Amino acid sequence: MVKKKKANIGTQRSAYLFILPSAIILAVFVFVPLIASFIISLLNIDVFMRNVSFAGLANFKKLITDTRAFNDTFNTIYFTVLEVPLQIITALIISTFVANNTRLNQIFRTIFYLPFICSLTAIGIVFSMLLDPNMGWLPYLLNMVGLGGIAFLKDAYLAMPTLIVISVWKNFGYTMTLLTAAIIDVPGYLYEAAEIDGAGYWKKFMKITVPGIWPTICFCIVTNIIASLQTFDLPYIMTKGGPDFHTETIVQYIYDRGFRTAPYSLGYASAISVYLFLIIAIITFIFRKFILNRREEANAW
Amino acid sequence: MVNSRKITAFKIIKVAICLIVAVTVIVPILWLFVSSFKDDREVIAYPPKFFPINWTLMQYQNVNDSVPILSFTKNSVIFAGLVTLISLLFDSMSGYAFARMNFKGKELLFGIILVTMMVPFQVVMTPLYIEIFKFKLLNTYAGLILPRATSAFGIYMMRSFFVSLPKSLEESARIDGCREFRIYWSIMMPLCKPALLTLGIFHFMNNWNDLLYPLMLTSSTDMSTLASGLATLVGNKVIKYGPTLAATMISILPILVLYIFAQKYFTAGISTTGEK
Repeated sequence: MVKKKKANIGTQRSAYLFILPSAIILAVFVFVPLIASFIISLLNIDVFMRNVSFAGLANFKKLITDTRAFNDTFNTIYFTVLEVPLQIITALIISTFVANNTRLNQIFRTIFYLPFICSLTAIGIVFSMLLDPNMGWLPYLLNMVGLGGIAFLKDAYLAMPTLIVISVWKNFGYTMTLLTAAIIDVPGYLYEAAEIDGAGYWKKFMKITVPGIWPTICFCIVTNIIASLQTFDLPYIMTKGGPDFHTETIVQYIYDRGFRTAPYSLGYASAISVYLFLIIAIITFIFRKFILNRREEANAW
Repeated sequence: MVNSRKITAFKIIKVAICLIVAVTVIVPILWLFVSSFKDDREVIAYPPKFFPINWTLMQYQNVNDSVPILSFTKNSVIFAGLVTLISLLFDSMSGYAFARMNFKGKELLFGIILVTMMVPFQVVMTPLYIEIFKFKLLNTYAGLILPRATSAFGIYMMRSFFVSLPKSLEESARIDGCREFRIYWSIMMPLCKPALLTLGIFHFMNNWNDLLYPLMLTSSTDMSTLASGLATLVGNKVIKYGPTLAATMISILPILVLYIFAQKYFTAGISTTGEK
């Protein structure tokens, strides 16, 4: 009895030793910063960390009247509202096409995943060159059909949709892989039964495939929304937020305010981070609630 | 008869759409690849030619004159490589403890770790910078590697894997008097190779491709990774098109090669992600 208890304490101690490295790292580099970000948002502090003082809610008051922050919020939501549905619908259609495990479909799936493994830096550079109005391929091809001189990334109305299309191009393969795995798991007898009932392709898709993979679709929607609200790489590389701030996102503004433009106000940057965090939390919460209700409906069909 | 003809027609449309999408996906990547073999004149020629007329290696030979590609690559290898190795060790140790051992506060601790998975990087970005600044680790490998040396997702994934192994494995080892670390290292780890490969590729790819994180923690060009260094140089338009093409090709090559040889491990991790 005594011996068993001793052994138990021994394994307990070794268990704590096993998780110790991870626990320290997560505590120091995730937990402390998470709490600190709220505190820093209440301070006057710059990147050199001299003259730190308490600011109260001054950073947030400034944020409310900051038209650039408002503009960037609009851009970020604009990006999200178009990118996420476009990407998921593309991925959903394609995944129903390639779900059967034939050799050809496996090749297609391998190809569709390719953009996802490339860095956004590389993709941004490639598309900047392909879209270059003076020597790029796409303007050249468009010129041949009479649509000459379109500067996709310099046009106030075209720049953001261009970034959205490139983002869909990069990410749909990932979503497709998730959805394809879910479609393969939908029991085959459901389709057989539907075929006996004479259901067509569209009906099978709406009544069996979509309800069958609905949890995965929800997962894709929520994770893609969160990722889109954090967009930084593509506009940073391709447009620098331009033309005239038409593609600047919230995260770009955080980075610019804290690390790129004097007075390098980390306090204000943190206030914007907290603001973004709230947006993400609220939207995720609403969507989870909304989607969970829908899911019960889907099951009830 | 009519029905079967309809089905064949539909199949043809499906394959045709897939082919169009496949071409759309491949063309930009193929363009990057072939264009990196063009000479200076062809790179900026108008009207543009898709394939080079005179294939040349000159962009690769001269790339280091305009882009510090060797130093970028070295930094990316050290950063992504060490993060991958260290976090595989720490993630699997924690995953093992959470899956196979009993200790006080286990559920609570695991719950807290799952919560950290949902914290967006942008929220912790500024405080993280201040920490690394205070530790005097800005522009160092340690400063880049330490915050990434474990991950909540990795712990979660390794735990799921360890839970699936039969209990009898370590029981017989315990009877033989094996210490806990021996059981983990010599009995469990060899069984984990697929999970470790999947998680390793996940870590390596994410850190290799990451932009904002190295951008923030390294201000000097000497410490830039391929992703952050190229983004900065191209953004400031300090390099010509030819070397940019070669450097960009070099930056995606390691991941592409890895994808060709270990494709199933790239997508295997996705099923774990999707479970939740």
